[in-house]
Amino acid sequence: MDCLAFACLAGVTLVCALAVVTLRNVLHSALFLGLSLAGVAGLFASLGADFLFAAQILIYVSGIAVLVLFVVLMAGRHSELHLRQTNKQWLPALAVAGLALWSVTKVAQGFRIEAPSLRQPTTRALGKLLMGDFAVPFELVSLILIAALIGAIVFTRPETE
Amino acid sequence: MTLAHYMTVSGLLFAIGVFGALTRRNIIGILMGIELMFNAANLNLAAFNRFLAPAGVVGSAVTLFTMAVAAAEIVVGLALVMAIYRNMNTVYAEDINLLKG
Repeated sequence: MDCLAFACLAGVTLVCALAVVTLRNVLHSALFLGLSLAGVAGLFASLGADFLFAAQILIYVSGIAVLVLFVVLMAGRHSELHLRQTNKQWLPALAVAGLALWSVTKVAQGFRIEAPSLRQPTTRALGKLLMGDFAVPFELVSLILIAALIGAIVFTRPETE
Repeated sequence: MTLAHYMTVSGLLFAIGVFGALTRRNIIGILMGIELMFNAANLNLAAFNRFLAPAGVVGSAVTLFTMAVAAAEIVVGLALVMAIYRNMNTVYAEDINLLKG
C-alpha cells in the first residue's frame, strides 16, 4: 500500500514536471507546474511531514502556481502558442541534467535504509523550534519577504515622470 | 520504501528542472524550471529528516525557510518579467540583449 502510494505520487510529480519543460503552450506548462507541486505535497505527506504538506499546498500550489498563471496570461500572446519554446542548446542541457541525475543516483546507492517507525505529528515541535532556537532566522525570513514585497511593487510600478 | 527511492525521485525532478531552465526560451519557463529545482531540494531535505533524524524537525524547519526564499525569488522574478515585458515587449530570453557589444 505504501509502495503503491509512493509510486503514484512520484509518477504524477515526474510526468507533470516533464510536461512543464516540454509543452509548447506556456499556459499548459503553468497548469502542469501546479499539478507537479501538488504531487510533491503528496510526497511530503507520505514522509509524515504534515506541516510541510500544508505549507506546500498553501505557498506553492495556491500561491506560486497561481502567480505564474497570472503572469502567463498577462504577458502571453496568441500568436506565440505554436512557436518553438526551446532553444538549440538541448544537447548540452541534456548532458548537464544527466550528470546531475547520475551523481544523485550514485550517492543514493549508499542510502538503502528503511524508514523508522512513524513518528508523531510535527507541527507542535516545529512551532517550538521556530520560536526557540530558530527565532533569529525566522525573523530574517520575514525581513526577506518584506524586501521582496517592496521590490515587486517598485519593479511593477508605472513610471510617472 | 527506502531513502534511495526518495533521493532518486528528487534527483529526477532536479534534472528535469535543470533541463527546463537551460532550454526554455521563455523567461517564465525558466522560472518554472527553477521552481522544480527548489522542490527537488525541499523533497530531499524532508526525506533526510524522516529517515536519518526522525526524532527532530530541523529538516522541516530548513525546508520552510527554503520555501520562503523561493516565494521571494519567484515574486521578484515575475515582477522583473512584467517590467521587461512592458519596456521591451518580449518575454524571450534571447531578445533581451541591451548589453551586447
